[in-house]
Amino acid sequence: MWDNLSLKEVVEYANDPYPSIRKWAKDTGKKVVGSTIADVPEEIVHAFGFLPVALIGTQKPLKKAPAKLPDNACSLARSNLELVMSYEGDLFDGFVLPQVCDTTQHLSDIWRINFPEKYVESFLAPRQADRPSARYWVKEEIERLIASLSNWTGRTIQDKDLLESIKIYNESKTLLAQIYEIKRKNPAAITNKEFFALIKLSMQVDKAELNKSLKKIKDNLDTKTKAEGYTDVIMVGITCDPPEIFDLFDEIKINIAGDSLITGTRYLQGIVPENGGPVDALTARHFRRGFYSPIHDDVFRNFEEVKALYKATNAKAIVYVHIEFCESEEYDLPDLKNMIRKEGIPMHVVDTEYQTTSLSHVRTRLQAFFESLKGGSL
Amino acid sequence: MSEKLSSKQLSKKITEEYMEEAFHAHEKGKLIGYSTAISPVEIFVAHDIIPIYPENHAVANLTAKKGVELCSVVEGMGYTNHLCAYARSDLGYRKTGLTVTKGIPDPDLFLACNAQCFTLTKWFQVLSRQNGAPVFVFDTPEYVMNKKAREEIVKYCVLQLKELISFLEEVTKKKFDYDRLKEVMKYSAQSSILYKKFLDMAQYKPSPISIFDALIGMAIAVYRRGTQECVDYYQTLCDEIQAKVDQGIGVLPKEKEKYRLYWENLPVWFKFSDHAKLLGSYGGVILTSLYVHAWSLELDLDKDPLVTLAENYVSRFSNSTIEDRVDMAMDLFKKYDMNGMIMFMNRSCKAVSFAVPTLKDILTKKTGIPALVFESDMGDQRFYAESQVRTRIEAYFETLDRLQGSKSAA
Repeated sequence: MWDNLSLKEVVEYANDPYPSIRKWAKDTGKKVVGSTIADVPEEIVHAFGFLPVALIGTQKPLKKAPAKLPDNACSLARSNLELVMSYEGDLFDGFVLPQVCDTTQHLSDIWRINFPEKYVESFLAPRQADRPSARYWVKEEIERLIASLSNWTGRTIQDKDLLESIKIYNESKTLLAQIYEIKRKNPAAITNKEFFALIKLSMQVDKAELNKSLKKIKDNLDTKTKAEGYTDVIMVGITCDPPEIFDLFDEIKINIAGDSLITGTRYLQGIVPENGGPVDALTARHFRRGFYSPIHDDVFRNFEEVKALYKATNAKAIVYVHIEFCESEEYDLPDLKNMIRKEGIPMHVVDTEYQTTSLSHVRTRLQAFFESLKGGSL
Repeated sequence: MSEKLSSKQLSKKITEEYMEEAFHAHEKGKLIGYSTAISPVEIFVAHDIIPIYPENHAVANLTAKKGVELCSVVEGMGYTNHLCAYARSDLGYRKTGLTVTKGIPDPDLFLACNAQCFTLTKWFQVLSRQNGAPVFVFDTPEYVMNKKAREEIVKYCVLQLKELISFLEEVTKKKFDYDRLKEVMKYSAQSSILYKKFLDMAQYKPSPISIFDALIGMAIAVYRRGTQECVDYYQTLCDEIQAKVDQGIGVLPKEKEKYRLYWENLPVWFKFSDHAKLLGSYGGVILTSLYVHAWSLELDLDKDPLVTLAENYVSRFSNSTIEDRVDMAMDLFKKYDMNGMIMFMNRSCKAVSFAVPTLKDILTKKTGIPALVFESDMGDQRFYAESQVRTRIEAYFETLDRLQGSKSAA
């Protein structure tokens, strides 16, 4: 299904992966378990023989979710709830939902109450990360998740099952990181839209299959043609949707050379050491990668990391993608913006919302920003 | 012998002495710790750290209708108007110094317990960036409905309370006194029992108190729990309310008390007394909410102090599952014999409000009582539509009247 995809097909599948997941589940007889994006160790879900699918909203209209979550709730949370309530609910046999903020905490409850016939488990991620108790807690939660899935399925998994899944997931992230490296050096080899579609799709479909496509895609990328006229920027945020936003970059040769997206580098940072006990390794991974939830964000550290990435990639500007109405981001953003501007780094904030029907205002503002960046008319 | 003070006089005296001590904390070698209203502040008290609650200060300004002025300043600094009005008005106070009180002293450290919400953590982080004081996050995972998980959650919380104690020892260079903690918890347990007794007096018919009395009465529980004076205050308050009960004095006269109402969420602070009058004109009295019960702790003094603290704070309504919140509310409906409910969708408080639509669906189904739902903001008047709220209240009481009429006819 996903083992021989062209880049064009990747973009199409990433835009709406659910028909292919539905067909795959039917063909293989495997069950599908959804998770909202943040911190769930998907390798565990995979080791139990399920397909873990990251829920990253829908662009289809909101119908039922507004009655459950008001309009000042995180747009991604509402979109995910809608995705399952109105469109794809039947596809999923269960859900593992991370709790990382007020919204996700309520979302887990709403989800459980609305889907009483499905398996719904919470993954209670720690909301403090600098003390020993946080490490203790992540390990407890990983073990509780394993016990919960065992209880649901009636089967147990061994370390070797988990290691097998970790290997497949690591391979996927390694291949994507290699493609990213090619993109950095040869922006013409792959567009922003294609590259981030690859990462997004890898979070939603069978990785063993997709890895075969990734290898072929990587090998076939044109690394010889000299890329000219590109301007490098870095992208900061959680997710960047709708994907048409990337078109606005691609159209005028703006290359995203680094990012801190969950559907980007933060996901790729999740490679798990393959030596030693897998539970300990997954625990260690939780603290090694950038945290998914902005609850943890230390703005000073965040600023230093963004600045370092900006310098390392030799980028010309920072584009911050803000999802309406992520409260954590909204508390951090004014200070982060001030720090970045004081440093003399050009920065532009794109406000996005799932279910956006028109990007005209984003287009106008981004174009004006890019024009000023390139020092003239585009 | 001096005359015994009334609860109102006592509250004033306690508050003035508390703020006086806070403003001179450093002269007495004490530190100021900002804290979330729901947090194991007994540890602060036992370690001679004076707890200050920016939320309380925000309430004073928002009740005095200073919300728009303060929030506008903060929005000009780049903060969105979707954020909590407590936080926005507080950040506005930091910028302008504008307050209807004498203000609050600056913090030496922060304690953010997310059993209440994550907003406080983010708000404290903003303040911490301004003055450099450290933030300790007491992370309380949702008290999920699984016995084994709950045991693990409590263990995790106890570990963190030990970390909190080490953190305080490090900051103050002073050893923590566990005997003193036991003493503080004794006071906290006693005052909690009395506070709950006070709230539960709303069971009487007519009710001698409304939620507005409860909201005024809860202040001392929030900022002085763990002290003898807090115990004395609630003893005095209970005695006064009991005297009202003995004389049959209600918020409304018995024959006029038609609707005994449940309120979901925090109040609309700047409409506090208007709402009481308006509802009273229809024979309605709001008796209680889960919010005011958040400080009805049930500390078990026979247990390890850190365990009972962890068990209590992790299980507050705001950190419980929606199903548990339904059970807690149903207990109140039965105990207080309520026949109406007002479900407030508070734009400021996402932590409480995102559960409201689901809570409303379940509670109306379980009780058979219709709900009045309205959306506004607890502190930002720009989100309050007077005529809309009045119309809704009128329509709601018409519905209740009609239902009661058809019940009587049947």
